[in-house]
Amino acid sequence: MATLPTSTPAKTRARAEPEPIPGGYAGKLLRVDLTTGRTWDEPWSPAQMRELIGGVGLGAMILYREVPAKAGWDHPDNRLVLATGPLAGLPVWGTGGLTVVTRGAMTNGPVSTQANGFFGANLKFCGYDAIVVQGIAREWVYLHITDAGAEVRDAAHLRGKDTWQTQDALGQELGLSGHQLSVYSIGPAGENLVRFAAIQGDYGHVASKNGCGAVMGKKRLKAVAIERGTGALRVADPQGLMQAADVIGYDLKTDPSARSLYEYGTLPGVVNLYKLGVLPIKNYTTNVSTADLSEWEAPKLRNGFDHRGHQCNACGMHHCHMQIILSGPHKGALVDEPEYEGWSGAGWTIGATTKEDVSWLNTELDRACVDVNEFGWLCGWVMECVEKGYITRDQLGFDLPWGDTQGARRLLELITSREGVGDLLAEGVKRAAEKLGGDAQKCAIYTLKGAAPRGHDHRGRWDEMLDTCTSGTGTLESGNPVHPTEVGLPARINPFDGEAVARLVAGLRGRRNFEDSLGICIFTTRTRLENVCRALSAATGWAYTVEESVRFGRRTGAILRAVDLRCGSSPRLEYPSERYGSTPVDGPAKGQAVRDQWEKMLDTWYAEVGYDRKTGKPSPQTLEALGLDWLAKDLWPRSLSK
Amino acid sequence: MTRFVGGDGSGRVVFDEPLQTGSTVRSVLEGVSSRFPELRAALWHERELGEHIEVLVNDAVVGVSHELDSRLEPGDRIALLGQFMGG
Repeated sequence: MATLPTSTPAKTRARAEPEPIPGGYAGKLLRVDLTTGRTWDEPWSPAQMRELIGGVGLGAMILYREVPAKAGWDHPDNRLVLATGPLAGLPVWGTGGLTVVTRGAMTNGPVSTQANGFFGANLKFCGYDAIVVQGIAREWVYLHITDAGAEVRDAAHLRGKDTWQTQDALGQELGLSGHQLSVYSIGPAGENLVRFAAIQGDYGHVASKNGCGAVMGKKRLKAVAIERGTGALRVADPQGLMQAADVIGYDLKTDPSARSLYEYGTLPGVVNLYKLGVLPIKNYTTNVSTADLSEWEAPKLRNGFDHRGHQCNACGMHHCHMQIILSGPHKGALVDEPEYEGWSGAGWTIGATTKEDVSWLNTELDRACVDVNEFGWLCGWVMECVEKGYITRDQLGFDLPWGDTQGARRLLELITSREGVGDLLAEGVKRAAEKLGGDAQKCAIYTLKGAAPRGHDHRGRWDEMLDTCTSGTGTLESGNPVHPTEVGLPARINPFDGEAVARLVAGLRGRRNFEDSLGICIFTTRTRLENVCRALSAATGWAYTVEESVRFGRRTGAILRAVDLRCGSSPRLEYPSERYGSTPVDGPAKGQAVRDQWEKMLDTWYAEVGYDRKTGKPSPQTLEALGLDWLAKDLWPRSLSK
Repeated sequence: MTRFVGGDGSGRVVFDEPLQTGSTVRSVLEGVSSRFPELRAALWHERELGEHIEVLVNDAVVGVSHELDSRLEPGDRIALLGQFMGG
C-alpha cells in the first residue's frame, strides 16, 4: 500500500529527488482546514496516483484513513473531498469532472457523486488534483482558488442566495464569466442542513447524492470558486491521447445506444423507459399514463423550448442545454434543460406532465439545491398521503394534488427553510415516513440504508434496485452494462430472473468506480472500457488494461464497503422499503415481484462478489485477490492471526 | 432507432410483416434487418442479438415471455428500442 496523504500541514519533510509525475496529473492536493482557516499544498506520489488514480479512488482511501467511526456526517473530522482525475482538463470529451466523496447525511455513510461543467479542468490548470476539506468554519466562507493558490474568504454576502445567484455574485465580484470561473455552491437547502441537499455548479450541474450539500453546509462552506488557471498539463503520449479521444467520440456518435445520448443527452429516457415500465409515475402507484407519450420524444422535448448548447469541458455531445420557456406562467424564464431524472423527479413521479412547468420546477430544485430524485420521492409521497388522508391540508398548510408544480415549489420552500412540517420533510422521505408510520410509511420509496433510489421505477429494473440497496456509495455503484460482453457477461438477460440480475450486477462491479476516478463524465465513457483505458494510458504513460480497471474499481468498492460498515451499515439494511420493493399493478412489468426473489438475489450477489453474507465484509480471500492484504488484516484480525 | 430504417431518429416506423408457418422472433427480425443494413449491423452480433437494442415482444423484453426462437402468433408485436442506461 502506498503511503497516504496526511491531514495535517507538513512543516518540513526531508525529500529525496522527486519522481516524475505521470502525465495528466497536476501533482498535488489542496488541503483546507476550515476550523483554522489554513490551506496548504500536499504533493502525492506517482505510486499513490497509480494506486488511487483520483476521484472516488482517492476519496475512498481518504475516508478510510481519516474519518473514524465517531465522526459522523456533521462532525468536524468528516472530510469533504472534491476530486478530479487524470483525464480532467485534457481534450477527451466531458473532462471537467468533479467527484464528491464524503460521509453523507442521508445514510451517514460514504458517498461518491459526480458533476461536470468546468470544475475539474479549472482546478487542474490551477495546479491541483483534488481539494480535501476538513473542520467547520466559525462564520460562512467560500474558497477561492487561482494559479497563485487558495484563500478562505468571507461569504456573509452570499448567505441565503440560491446557487445561480451565488455564481452570478461571485462572477461579478471576480470579474469573470463563462468557463473562466467554475463555481460549485450550496443553496438555502444546504445552508439549513436539509439532509438531501446537493452541491450545484456552473448553472445546472449537480453532485446530488446522499446529502453532500448538507455536509458542505455543516462546514459553513458556501461555495468553491475556481478561476481557470494557466498551468499546462503534460501528457505522456499526446498523439495517442488524441487518437483515443477520436475513437471514443466516434463510438459515441455511432453506437446504437450511445448515439441517442450523443444527439439528445438523456432526453430519450422518458419514452424508452415508459415502454419498459421503468418510468416512475405518481409515486409508483401506476406505470400507465393517459398523456400522449409521442409529445415526450427527445426532439419534441428539446425543440419545444428556445434552446442552446451548454457543453462541459471539451465535450462534443449534444447533451447539456439551457432553454427558455416559451409559454405558460413561467414564460421567458431561463432554465437548464432537465436531464431524464429531472423530467422524472420534478415531473412524472409527482404526476406533473406539463413540460414547461416541469422544466421550471427542475431548475428551482437546482437553485435551492436539493437532490431531484429524493425530492421526487418525497413530494410524490406527500401528494399520495394528502390524497389518501394520511397527511391533512391543515398539517401541510395548503392543498397538494398530483401534478401541482406550484404546490411542489411551496413544499420546497417549507423544506429549505425547515418551516413547519418542512422541518420533518427536510429529513428525507425515509425518516419522515418512519415518523408518521402506519399506512403513510407503507407508500414511501426509500432504501433501508437511507439512500434515495435513482429516478426510475426499479420494479422494472431490478439490477439498479439491487445495486442501490447493496451499494457503498449512497447511490448506484456497480456500473452501466455498456458492453457487458467485454467483461465476460451475457449481452442480455431476462430482467426478471433474480439470479441472472445478481450475476450481472456483480459482474459489472468496478466499472463505475473506475470511471468516477478519472475526472470524466460518465456519459462520455459510454464506450468500451478498452477505449477509456487507452486514453488513460496515453495520458499517464501507464499501460492500463481492462482487467486492471475492473480490479481497481472493485478494490475501491471494497474500501468503500469497509467504510460503510464502520459507519453502521449492515446486510440487514440491504432491502427496499415496502413500496419500493412492491409489485407493479399495471404496465409492462405488471406482476413481476422482486420481493419474492430478493433473498436469492442477495445470496447470489454476495457469492459472486466474494463478500461475507452474514457480516457484509469482503472475505479475506477477496481482499487478498484485490491486493488489499492490509484491509484484510483490519477487517479480519482474528481469522488471519490464526 | 428510426434512423436505422430510413426515419429521422424520432417517432416510430411500423412494419406489418407477413407470418409464415413457423415464424419466430428471430426469423421476423432477420427478415426486417435484411432490408436495412444499418439495422442489421446494430441489431445482431453473429447469430445472436447484440448488446444495445432492446427487443420487446408484446411489451415484454425478450427473455420474459418470448425467447429469440419462440413462435409468433398473428397480431404479436415486436418493438425495438435504443437501450437507455442511467439517468
